[in-house]
Formats: sequence, C-alpha cells, structure tokens
Amino acid sequence: MSDNKTMHAKDLQKVSSKQTAGKILSKFWVYLFLIVMALIVLFPFYWMLISSVKSIDEYRLSVPTLFPKEILWSNYVEAFNQANLGRLFLNTLYVGLVSTLLSLVITVLSAFAFARLEFKGKNALFAALLATMMIPGELFTITNYATVNSLGWMDSYTVLIVPFLVSVFYIYLLRQNFLQIPNELYLAAKVDGTSDLKYLWKVMIPLALPTLISITILKMMGAWNSYVWPRLVANDEKYQLITNGLRNAFTDSTGDVNIPVQMAAVAIVSLPLFLVFIFLRKYIMKGVSRSGIKG
Amino acid sequence: MKILLQNLTKIFPGRGKKNTQEVIAVNDFTFEIPDGKLVGLLGPSGCGKSTTLYMISGLQKPSGGKIFFGEDDVTELSAENRGVGLVFQNYALYPHMTVKQNILFPLQNLRGEDKLPKDKMIERAYYAAKLVQIDDLMDRKPSELSGGQQQRVAIARALVKMPKVLLLDEPLSNLDARLRLQTREEIRRIQKDTGITTIFVTHDQEEAMSISDLIVVMKLGVVQQIGKPQDVYDDPTNLFVAKFLGTPPINVFTGKVSGGKLFIGDAPVLDVPGVEDREVTVGIRPEGFVLDENGPLVCGLNSVEVMGRDVSVVCRHENAVSPVIRAIIDADNKVAAGETVRYTLKPHKVFLFSKEDENRIRF
Amino acid sequence: MVESKHKWKAWLYLSPAIILLLVFTVWPIINTVRMAFLENYNSMGAVGGKIYAFGIGNFKQVLDYKLFLNCLGNTMLLTVLTVPLSTILALLIAVCLNAIKPLQRILQTIFFLPYVTNSIAIGMVFAAMFNMVGSAFGGENEIVVTAGIINNVIEFFGGEAVNWINAGSTYAANITVMVVYIVWNALPFKILILLGGLQSINKQYYDAARVDGTRRSRVFTKITVPLLSPMLAYVVITGFIGGFKEYSSIVGIFGEHMGPAGDAKRLNTMVGFIYDSLSTQQGRASAAALILFGIIFVVTMINLYVSKKKTHY
Repeated sequence: MSDNKTMHAKDLQKVSSKQTAGKILSKFWVYLFLIVMALIVLFPFYWMLISSVKSIDEYRLSVPTLFPKEILWSNYVEAFNQANLGRLFLNTLYVGLVSTLLSLVITVLSAFAFARLEFKGKNALFAALLATMMIPGELFTITNYATVNSLGWMDSYTVLIVPFLVSVFYIYLLRQNFLQIPNELYLAAKVDGTSDLKYLWKVMIPLALPTLISITILKMMGAWNSYVWPRLVANDEKYQLITNGLRNAFTDSTGDVNIPVQMAAVAIVSLPLFLVFIFLRKYIMKGVSRSGIKG
Repeated sequence: MKILLQNLTKIFPGRGKKNTQEVIAVNDFTFEIPDGKLVGLLGPSGCGKSTTLYMISGLQKPSGGKIFFGEDDVTELSAENRGVGLVFQNYALYPHMTVKQNILFPLQNLRGEDKLPKDKMIERAYYAAKLVQIDDLMDRKPSELSGGQQQRVAIARALVKMPKVLLLDEPLSNLDARLRLQTREEIRRIQKDTGITTIFVTHDQEEAMSISDLIVVMKLGVVQQIGKPQDVYDDPTNLFVAKFLGTPPINVFTGKVSGGKLFIGDAPVLDVPGVEDREVTVGIRPEGFVLDENGPLVCGLNSVEVMGRDVSVVCRHENAVSPVIRAIIDADNKVAAGETVRYTLKPHKVFLFSKEDENRIRF
Repeated sequence: MVESKHKWKAWLYLSPAIILLLVFTVWPIINTVRMAFLENYNSMGAVGGKIYAFGIGNFKQVLDYKLFLNCLGNTMLLTVLTVPLSTILALLIAVCLNAIKPLQRILQTIFFLPYVTNSIAIGMVFAAMFNMVGSAFGGENEIVVTAGIINNVIEFFGGEAVNWINAGSTYAANITVMVVYIVWNALPFKILILLGGLQSINKQYYDAARVDGTRRSRVFTKITVPLLSPMLAYVVITGFIGGFKEYSSIVGIFGEHMGPAGDAKRLNTMVGFIYDSLSTQQGRASAAALILFGIIFVVTMINLYVSKKKTHY
C-alpha cells in the first residue's frame, strides 16, 4: 500500500536543518511579538510613575525625558493633600471592609441553604435568582436611587454599603463549591448531633476557603473601583470614595492641570491594587476567570 | 519498510527542585524490525515502551542512538516529515470534525507534488474507512460513536495517508473485554491486508502474544527479550519474562540443584543434568504439571475449578513464592478428593533461574 | 439532601439575601417597567400626586431624542470596533503565550496587570499621554508646550502630531483614543480566559496533527480555533455586554462632561444617558434602560445562536 520515495541522505539533512531553522525563527517572532505587546501594556504604568516625580517644567519639555532629571517626591505630598486622599482612603477602606464582611455572611448562609437544605420552591427560587444576573445593573440604579432617597440614606455610609450586599453571582459560585463537598460529611455531622451552623463553620467554610478569598478580593476591588453609584448618592465629601475624589480633584475645565501631581495621585490610588495583586495573584486570577466581572 | 533502532536511548531530566533525579526511560535499545511485520512492545507501565513508540514517531527526540527507516537515518527528522501513522491511546479524534473530516484531515495537509485532487482524497478516505468497516458512519461526530468505532476511525485516519509505519499506542486499553478480542483480530487483519510495518504498545501480554509476529519484552527501559511470541513463552531468558507472559501466570518456587537433580523442599522433582549444585528459583508453567499418584511433588489441595475443556487445580506448597499455585490439566483427568495432590513435571515446562541475577539456567 | 426538621431554617438563612434582593433587585425591575410605560413619568411629580397615563411615549421620545441617538451611536461604534480588535489581539497573545516556556509566567502576569487597575485612574494616565499641554489648545496663536508622549512618538517616526482629546479635536481622534484605551483594558480578561482554554485542550490533538504533517496555520484554523470556540464565544459575549455598558473608561479620559472641552457629551454612551436623566426624568431613563437590556439580550441570543452553530460539540 505504501508508495514511498526513498529520500537521499542529502535531502534528509536539508529537511532536518530547515526544520530546526524554522523552529528557531518562529520562536523568535513569538517572543518579539509578546515582548513588544508587553511593553505596550506596561507603558502607561511606566509613564505614570516617571511623570509622577517630574517637575511640571520638566514634564512640559517639548522633547520628553524618558527618565526624570530630578526626582520630585513632593508631588506625592501635594497629591495627597490636594485630593484629600487620606480621608478618601479611610472611607473606601471602611466601606470595603464592612460590605465585604456582611456580604460574606449573607452569601455563605444563602449558599448553604441552596446547597444543603431542602425546602419547597428551592429550585424555582434559585432559577429566578440566576435570571436576574442577565439584567444590566444600570436598570436597577434608577429605582434604587429613588429608593435610597426616600429612605433618607443619601450621603451616608449605609447608602454605599447596603444596596450591593447581595451578589447572586457569588451565591451561585459558593453554592457550586459547597455542592462539591460530599453530602456524607453533612450526614455524618447530623448523626453526631452537630448543628448546621457549627458544621458550616467547621467543615464547609474551611473547604470553600479559596472561593471565599476570591470573593473577598473581588469585593474589595469593587469598593476601590466603584465610581458611578457613589457619585450619584454621596456628594458630600465626607462620604466620597477614592475614585470619585480622584476624578473630581483633577477635573479642570481649562484642561490646564498639574499633570505630575495628578499622576502621583493616580499612582497612590493604584498602588494598593498592585500590592494585593502581587500577593494574591492566584486567587484573583482564579476568581476572575470564573466571574468575568470587574469588581 | 524495515525499521532499525540503533542504541536508542531516552533520558528525561529530573523535573523541578525536589526531583532532580534523571530518569532513563529507554536504555540502549537495538532492534531491527523486518518489513511488513506486526511487532508488539510489551511490558509493565513505566518500562519505556510508549517512549520508544513516540521516538519512532518523531514526537520525542532520542537522547542517544539512531533510528533508520529503510536506509534513511530519520533520527533528526521531526514528526511531520516522517510519514508515520500514529493511533493514540485515547484516539485523539478531533471532536469538532465528522468521521469523514477526521479521516480526510491528513490528506488535506499534503502539499506540493504530493497534493491530491479532491475526488482522489475522498476515494482514499472511503477506501481507508472500508478497510476498518466504518464507511457507513462517515457523517457522524466522534462523540456519537462507541469506543470501538472511535478506535477504527483513529486507525483509518492513520492509514489514509499510506504511512510507511503504523504505530499504535495501547490500542485496546479503552475497550471492553469482548470488543478487545474482536478488535485485536481486526488489527491483525488490517495489518495483513495492507502489509504496513506495524508496531504497537501494550501492557497486556495476552494481547501481544495473540497477534504479534514478534514481541519485545521491556522492563525499566531495558529490553529483556525479543522473539516470536511462542518462542519467548517457551524459552524465556529470565524470571521477569517468564512471569510476565502466560495466563494463569507461571508458578514460582524456591529450590536447589544437587547432584543433577532439582529439589523443591526435600523432594527430588526433576532430573536436571549438567547443572552444578546451587540454590535456584524454579518456574513451572501451569500446564507443566501432570497428575500422578506417585509423583514426587506433593501439594496441599485447595480447590478444583472446572472450566469446560480444562481443569484448574488450585493448590499450595510451602516452597512456592505465592500463596497459591495453579495447575492446568486436561478435564479427562479426575482429581481425587483429598488433602493433597501429587504431580510429576514436564521437563520443557520447567525453567530454572539464578537466585542472584534471575537469569535463566539452562539444562 | 437532608429533609430538615425545621423548614423555616432554610428561609431564615436566606432571609437577609431575599429581603435585600426584593428591595434592590426585584422592586427595581418591576418599577423600571412601570415607569417606562407611564408617559413622561418623573418621581417629583409622582410625589406631588400627579397621575401619569399609560403609554409608550417614553420609548418614542427616547428614540426621537437626538442626544440618545448620539449615545447609541457612540456605544455601538465603540463596541463594534473594540470587541473584534481586542478578541483577535487577545487570541494572538494567548496562542503565543501558550507556545513558550521560559518567561511565560512573567509575561502572563504583565498581560494581566491592566485588569487590577482602576479604570478611572488609569484613564487619567492615558489622557495625560494623549494630552497636549499648553493653555487651551486650538486657537491660532496658541503655543503648545508639550504635545504629549504619544504625539512625541508619532513625531519621532516622522508623523504629524494629532490633537487627540483637547478642545477642537476631531470625533475620529477621540474615538481612536477610546478604542486604544478600551482594548488595553479589555485584553487581560480575554487573555486569561483564552489561555485557560488553550491549556485545557488535549495535547494529543496537536501530536496527532504533527504526525500528520499539519502546517502551523492549519493547526491554528482547523484545530485550535474550533476547539477554543466555546471560550471565544464566551469572551465575545461578555465583550459585547461590557461594550454596551461602556461608561467609566470615557469618564476616565474625558471627565464627567464626556467629551473634549467645548464639546461636552460628544462621547456620551447609553449608560451615561441613563445616569444623566436618572434623577429628573425617570420615565425616560427607564425606557432607555429597557432598550439597553433589550439590545444586550438580543446580541447575547444572536451570539449564542451563532456560536451554537459554529461550535460543534
């Protein structure tokens, strides 16, 4: 059945040297492409950092310097004061921590009920919850704005925390995780007379810890990055969050702002996110690949 | 096309910080596979048989040694230029393509002077499909096929480009027992029909014995024995080969040779002329036992299993290495109920091995 | 599952979630539909006891409204430009990342970095990069002090500086900046998902293709892309949804006036439109939100339908 042509030694050599050359060449292009793209991705961060320590005069040179001639740390002090970052930072931290904590409690209880308890209408209720995930959040905002207004919550921490405590997606995520824990463990605990809550605390939560950490990080990042809702409901500076403060401090209708100071402020706001990323990279990437939602 | 493996060696470097030990997967393998034969590479997992197969395919590069296809040294040639057909253990059928598209795929890769016109390709695909009897399933997706059918598609895909060599990696391991029997006959038939030199890898000695022209028994990267299945079975070179081939497996005893006689326990069981006095390991094939009321080998009787044509006598002996020994005897012989059973031994079914290196001691 | 003796227990555990969802999710859905179908509804009037007639006037008004059409156009344009661009780029990067061993982890981390940023904050960095610094730009005798690093680069390669985002800049220039920023922002997530998908493809398919002498390009189009199609579909759908909800990246670059100085709201989007009318014109905002939901729903369905036809298994 085979009609092979015998290859001569020379041809063979040619083919094999060609294939090695091709391999090396293609690897070269792959690396070149990746490194160029990586530099493009990194460039804004680089530009932010070096601009943040330039003097305004140096920044405005018509031929830009790729590394500052003189490092001006005072930009950071100025940025911190000008944008009132200290207060904003504390506000954001407070809102983030409280809402993460409450949200975790609510999520764990609900996920446990959906994963382990039997009650009438469970599946219908769960399906209804999932269905709400399809609706864009902007649709809720209109009514929620009116609701918090009539509740008299405007300009308070409550208004920044309560409306977003329940995330159907996190309940779903955690329920899936709980379901993977063998039911026999629960039955054994019941036989031993362990209460639901104790079982939840001692068994389910430790086993679902990676998911809980992912949720925590995403929730904290959400607080750090939230912009639209705080802008709507917290006009009082006392309750503003960091992103709003940052945007407001440097919006100038003439377009003539001190960009180095602005970049310093941006760097201060970005730094905590990077730190969290460096230390919790694994959880973030895992959480993100499952959620697809920013914050 | 004949294939020559010359001092073929594959060393995997140690992986990671904890495991720096390098692994010699295949050690100095030399073997010439004659043209048009079906060869079984046989051994327990980790013996280097799959690595050998992948080196022949070109998917893995040898650390040392050479591979020749015919007269051509293909050692440095990568897989895409070797023209081999490879059937993977789990078939690796493209799940998004129909059977027909899967089989056509290798042909559509051909370029330049090898390129075929479309109708010729279809013709070849149907020819290959007919060969493995799946020509009525051409428009199905792999997920709609049974394991056996998927296996045939994989073979058809490997055959369609008329390879010089057909390589099969554990071709039957994913099939159920009945299908396995049927498919191995099929592989034998297809190989005979096409005359393509075929090498397959298996850990199942029965499978290898039943269809191969030649078998290669490997252990920890080292070839133990090469030969026709029956020859290897009848004349193993060491204890490992003897133990690896045959079902039920060979019965192993400790014994000693004294004055040209083999003793198991205190009983002289066989004349072994020309063997010097020493401690030995004795292997006796299950069919090597003959019932004899006055036989020298006395075993405690456990049970008798009647299996139609044959009878399997399960018994025990204090010098046996395993707790039970099995003898296969003709069903015509009646085993008398009782505490013990006595045998004489067929000399050509008894193998002696050195206690030290487990190599065969011939007599 | 266990038959709990105390059925109320499940409801007790669920009660915080359910109460909050009723107030902040279920009620808004009902209320949004209600407001959208009450002619010219606004809550100030409603509090004052005004009765609104039922009708589809809000939708008509919204669709006739030039500002809304402008928002719709911006949103569509940005989505149509950024989704294919970021998907193709992410696919290329993911495939290349999957093909290398040394440096893979560090490069993967770098490509993920834009994800852990604040889109407003980094938008301000992009704005600075595109910004021409001087006094108000555009007048005839104005002196530009620095043209911005992007323009510096363009000039370095012999091009001409462009007024990207300042007063007097063109719509095309503004959109270009937005596309660059949105793509930069969208890459990490897509690369993460696609790389995960690539890594889960059985290596044996590639071995089989190699043994069959398949060219690289053919492996890519005939094996990689089809086997990756569920991930690609996911990335495209989420990309479309994100695209139609674009808002804060524009705020990041242009500020809340959503346009270059002197041309506020030029780059406003559907979400921006909803926010603008949310405190005074709830009827109109609700209608716009429902339209947004409708578009997202339809696009998602089309995507699912197409990807079902294209992904075969």
